[in-house]
Amino acid sequence: MGDSFPGFRSLRAEMERPLTLSHLASPITVNWGITARCNFVCSHCFSRLDRSPELSGEEARRVVDVLAAHGVMFLNYGTGEPLLREDLFSLTEYAVDKGLKVTMNSNGSLIDQAAARRIRDAGFHAVGISIDAADPAAHDAFRRMPGSFDKALRAARLLRENGVRLTVSSVICKVNHGAFAALVSLAKELGARTIDLHNFKCSGMGGLNKERLDLSPEEWKTFYERAIPLKLAETGIEVAFDDPILSLLGGEEGAEKLVAGSVCGKLSLYIRPDGAITPCGFIPVTIGHVLRDDFGAVWRDSDVLAHLRNKTAAGKCAGCAKFSSCLGGCTARAFAVYGSYDAPDPHCWAEPGF
Amino acid sequence: MRPKRNPDIVWRLEKGMQELAWDKARKGEEYEDLGVLTLMTGGTIHQLNLVGAEIWTRINGINSLEKIAAEIAVLFGADPADIEADVGEFLTGIAEKGWVTLSPDSGPSGPKWSAR
Repeated sequence: MGDSFPGFRSLRAEMERPLTLSHLASPITVNWGITARCNFVCSHCFSRLDRSPELSGEEARRVVDVLAAHGVMFLNYGTGEPLLREDLFSLTEYAVDKGLKVTMNSNGSLIDQAAARRIRDAGFHAVGISIDAADPAAHDAFRRMPGSFDKALRAARLLRENGVRLTVSSVICKVNHGAFAALVSLAKELGARTIDLHNFKCSGMGGLNKERLDLSPEEWKTFYERAIPLKLAETGIEVAFDDPILSLLGGEEGAEKLVAGSVCGKLSLYIRPDGAITPCGFIPVTIGHVLRDDFGAVWRDSDVLAHLRNKTAAGKCAGCAKFSSCLGGCTARAFAVYGSYDAPDPHCWAEPGF
Repeated sequence: MRPKRNPDIVWRLEKGMQELAWDKARKGEEYEDLGVLTLMTGGTIHQLNLVGAEIWTRINGINSLEKIAAEIAVLFGADPADIEADVGEFLTGIAEKGWVTLSPDSGPSGPKWSAR
């Protein structure tokens, strides 16, 4: 052996490390509201009340430059309807050329054959189409748009015909929590690779309609107890959902948690249409601006992110044996309902002293 | 054996961490616990330390196990014979996870076809 490094010991068993958040120099994923404009007025929309102006095309490209320079892996367009953004395809081509995996969530209403081809050609990694019920009337009522179910299904089929990787995106709430298995079957029939079952967030319109749409903690428990077997079963489609409070069910069956607690500010960030950075779309607290501030410094030094990464057990979480794994559950829900990052997740069904 | 990365795996070197790890290694400090390279596969995230990252970035479907091990040995001032078994074990392990495929070496004799 020659002049080995003083610190060199062995290669074995040391090369793969468990994920250490402090070793992430930037978020893995950025969710970007490239527009707040939307042709729908959905009951649960977190951004409907957002009146912020959107970035110009030139500014949007600079955002892509920033994200690419910081090694962000995944860029997801959400918030309003991305297809209303005139430069969507050229911006996406630009981002793909920079090495980003680009996805978007769409209501599907503007996806015709020509749009599906352009989506394919732009290089989208995957596209999520919102379908919230297998029953057309239930979906249309939730989206408050007659005919939206048929348009969503048409969009899903056109995307698949054009070879675009399809995700069906569903918000679990009062409308569908008892019939989500039918949604999974529909998504599979449409050729979706994944169905994302998002938990309801009481932000924006979701906050205004919480009483009508949100499940009770016991209903959330029942939903997850029924959904986990479906996630683990070989159904031919990936059934994806994530929620910090899944750790209450014991073990990590089906949870595949990437980090303890919420991922917001740990693996991901959100950029509002005007370029403001927030921990996630559901926590409307600005921590910087993507074009005016040093993106890496915001990620590394933000006091708000430091708080989210180091939450303190409060309320019924204090003394709860599960706190170390759930870290108080979803911070966005706690913040929306109680105005505190440390407050217990309002979806949590655990009794004090669990 | 010639390892080739699974193209579905998205990965990146962590800005600043590689430099920090090398700095620590040169000073004889602990560097093995630093996550230098992050990769995402099947909805899960993994990190590799400095040595793992140096191996991963040399995987291209062309470099053989022997070549990678030789370069790693030079990089860390270690004996290639010692390193090769470890690198092989690492590659086999990540092949089992589906991160790479391992194709057999065609050997120094060149192409596999033969003239009749």
